[in-house]
Amino acid sequence: MDWLLVSVMNGVVYGLLLFMVSAGLTLIFGMMGVLNFAHASFYMLGAYFAFSLQARIGFWGAILVAPIIVGAVGVVVERYFLRRVHQYGHAHELLLTFGLSFMIAELVKLFYGNYPVNYRIPGSLDFAAFAVGGLDYPAYRVLMGGVAMAMFVLIYLLLTRTRVGIIVRSAIYKPRMAEALGHNVPLVFMGVFGVGAALAGLAGAVAGAFYTTNPNMALELGVMVFVVVVVGGLGSLGGAMLASILIGTITSLSVGIDASLSDLFALFGARQWAEGVGGLLTLKVSSTAGTIPFALMLLILLVRPHGLLGEKG
Amino acid sequence: MSDAILTLRGLKKSFGDIEIIRGVDLDLLGGERHALIGPNGAGKSTIFHLISGNIAPTAGEIMFAGKQIGGAQPQAINHLGISRSFQITNIFPRLTTFENLRLAVMRAHGLQYNFWRLVDNNRRVREQTERLLEMVRLQARADSIAGEMSYSEQRSLEIAMTLASDPRVILLDEPMAGMSRDETEYTSNLIREVTKGRALMIVEHDMDVVFSLSERVSVLVYGQVIATGTPEEIRRNASVKEAYLGEEVAA
Amino acid sequence: MKPVHILLLGIVLALLALPSFLTPGLVNAAIQMLIAALFASAYYLLCGQAGMLSFGHAAYFGMGAFATIHAMNAIGGTGLLPTPLMPLAGAIGGGAFGFFAGYFSTKRTGTYFAMITLAIAELVHALAPHLKALFGGEAGVSATRMPAWGFTFGSTNEVYYLTLAWVALCLTLLYLYTRTPLGRLTLGLRENTHRLRFLGYNTHGLAICVFVVSAMFSGVAGGLLVVSNEAANYVLFDAHLSASVVLNTYIGGVRVFLGPILGASLMTFFGYAVSDLTQSWLLYQGALFVLVMMYMPNGLAGLFGQIGQWRSRFGLAALIPFVLLALGAGLLVGGGGAFAIEMLQRFLSQDYQALASANAAGTWPPIRLFKHDWSPAAPGTWLVPATLLTAGAGLAVLARQWLRRLVQREESNRAAAEASVPGDAA
Repeated sequence: MDWLLVSVMNGVVYGLLLFMVSAGLTLIFGMMGVLNFAHASFYMLGAYFAFSLQARIGFWGAILVAPIIVGAVGVVVERYFLRRVHQYGHAHELLLTFGLSFMIAELVKLFYGNYPVNYRIPGSLDFAAFAVGGLDYPAYRVLMGGVAMAMFVLIYLLLTRTRVGIIVRSAIYKPRMAEALGHNVPLVFMGVFGVGAALAGLAGAVAGAFYTTNPNMALELGVMVFVVVVVGGLGSLGGAMLASILIGTITSLSVGIDASLSDLFALFGARQWAEGVGGLLTLKVSSTAGTIPFALMLLILLVRPHGLLGEKG
Repeated sequence: MSDAILTLRGLKKSFGDIEIIRGVDLDLLGGERHALIGPNGAGKSTIFHLISGNIAPTAGEIMFAGKQIGGAQPQAINHLGISRSFQITNIFPRLTTFENLRLAVMRAHGLQYNFWRLVDNNRRVREQTERLLEMVRLQARADSIAGEMSYSEQRSLEIAMTLASDPRVILLDEPMAGMSRDETEYTSNLIREVTKGRALMIVEHDMDVVFSLSERVSVLVYGQVIATGTPEEIRRNASVKEAYLGEEVAA
Repeated sequence: MKPVHILLLGIVLALLALPSFLTPGLVNAAIQMLIAALFASAYYLLCGQAGMLSFGHAAYFGMGAFATIHAMNAIGGTGLLPTPLMPLAGAIGGGAFGFFAGYFSTKRTGTYFAMITLAIAELVHALAPHLKALFGGEAGVSATRMPAWGFTFGSTNEVYYLTLAWVALCLTLLYLYTRTPLGRLTLGLRENTHRLRFLGYNTHGLAICVFVVSAMFSGVAGGLLVVSNEAANYVLFDAHLSASVVLNTYIGGVRVFLGPILGASLMTFFGYAVSDLTQSWLLYQGALFVLVMMYMPNGLAGLFGQIGQWRSRFGLAALIPFVLLALGAGLLVGGGGAFAIEMLQRFLSQDYQALASANAAGTWPPIRLFKHDWSPAAPGTWLVPATLLTAGAGLAVLARQWLRRLVQREESNRAAAEASVPGDAA
């Protein structure tokens, strides 16, 4: 039971992290109709910038400054890259961000090397928050969840309670109308793109210290974020939240399951046969935890092609 | 006149809380030219979308030749013999006019999954495509990129594509919008010509076209058919005058 | 004979004669180029013609490769098919998996489709190392080419000719495909899927078909790689291979059939040629891709087409200065960029940093690059790339001005011509 509780908590924290990245992606997609392939690269940049800054301005300073730099990178990407190719259509924009993500990964390898860097939680934060069944639960995980939650509350309030938020929302849903009303829509686009990037950067700065910071982290997380978005329904913040938590928890739970499909067949007395077949049937669930979200995605596509909370059409 | 080929009964469509089509009963008789008129926002295009399978009805039924087709896939409905054009030009913009039309023609020849024959060698497809091009007076534009042609030329192409599958029922959604006087007259005659032996349902704002072309007219107002009859009957109908035609007819 | 036919004939003859001029190493590179060209062409069918962006095409390439290696190992190593027919197994493997993946991914279009293809590829990549019987785990699977039809297939040259024959056959088939009804409908799928449905086509079925054809030819490419390497490893499923086919295809250009072939051959050749000189080839590839996407959306092939169009508009004589200026700009920017990247790469490398920290504090040992020693602390070192880049940018501005002047001249000529024939204007 304790194991279950810890797994669920880990899963929720990982899910919140996924949401931090996919929320920005969803916002940008809703606004510009462009899936930003480089979004997870912003997450990676956040981790690397924080790693570099940590030595000079300390951990908390790094956590604060790194997202700002990433946000600035996002602004540059929107203003000088995406806007340039907007005329060629969405596919072209998607390809450009794909190229940028490829380039960012290579640049990171150039500057930091093609191996994990030593970005760690500071000693002062490396303690147990509480114990579950004799196992210490790291405070840093709680902190990560807290940062993510605080972020959502802030963004939610910003979008719903402020003048800027109203303009942003109107620019998302009816850009032409907002422009006609005299709002500077390109500026709003640039701003939201920057904020989305900064959000991903913050997630990276916080999570990079806990997980590993390496040049593959963008691809690994990026793919997971795409799965979240397909499962949740593209353009739906609620769907992104639901799918993030779902995928976080499932991944975390399956790591602890030491069973395989052959155990399922054993219920019908077919274990011998299943073990004879081998391959997929005898694979332990725990060793394939990473693939379960993809399987979930295929299942969703089969039964609910528009995602859990996605609109049809 | 023969029996109804297409029948709408109690047809309803809502988007969220808003009911756009509020119980439509309508018969399209085999071989007749039937106009659907009504003010903007009455739901004319929505009826076309429902019949052609672009959207599924909320309630009610659409019967085509004795078969219920409401909510079926567009391609299935097309296979049964209903072909439509679109109000907003809906073509393959970066392909040539010839290519646009050939794609439409190929379907009836059962060439969807054919990858072992060269399409240029198929004489029947080529000849039919050329015939259709000639019919809508686009033969000189065969090699033009469809998206770069004038608006009225694109409308003509749209009509030709609709005719390509040799349908039993043709739905034309404002085919003459944006055409000059001369083009409208030509197209009107063309429609009369090519719909011989088929049923036509047409949405059109040009009342001259509507009254000269159609044998029966239905008037749709706020998602309901308020009158159906010959052009003469519709002209005389008091509630139609009040709801829609008004001064247009008086003038 | 049209010029394009003469060109093709020339290329085929050159490819046939190639092995007699090249070292085995270069013949091997030529094999890789051929395979990459076929892979890119198969990919182009999906992305360029059907307008479906796949970011996970390595999956079908890899499935084809593994199907081929198992076919080679079948029946106690004698093989399921004679060696020259082995890539057929690749076609079946790639096509079969393409059907599975295509069924799911073509349920959606556009951005969703792109994400699903990526996720399926990642699923395969994550699962493959666990399925030892199928994909051989970390070590992979190896096999031996068996003699067949009077060939031993022991030499690189024989493998080269086998690959050439297959690639030539497949590219011909892929080209002919574009002229078939299904091939024309593929374009319709890109242009307006919605309209196709109302013309009575089952667009999901069509999309699956196109996907399978593309996956099948990708599988042949994978099979050819296995026939050449006699080994396959789950690394074939790496996202990197998927990315490189996207990059190659778009660098070449997706508006014409030969574009992706050109892009893939060129990029593979350069990748081979510079592999000893730089560790940052992928960065150059990515940067080139980004530049192409931003400044020449129709790729290298489109660039040639554009220059041809300008030549007929402005005349060769007027265009030569522009071409020279643009070429100069390209060379200078490329040189400056390469200098900066190589310098940085060497400066930031672990070896150099270790060397520097072992040295006395405050001194940086010189870095050897382009047969010179450069001190990273000297401003002159960094002035070199800066100067090159600035000069390149300057030339680019000049080239642009020249082109603008040509356009202006053409316009004023036209205005003058119209003025001289007043009746025509009305």
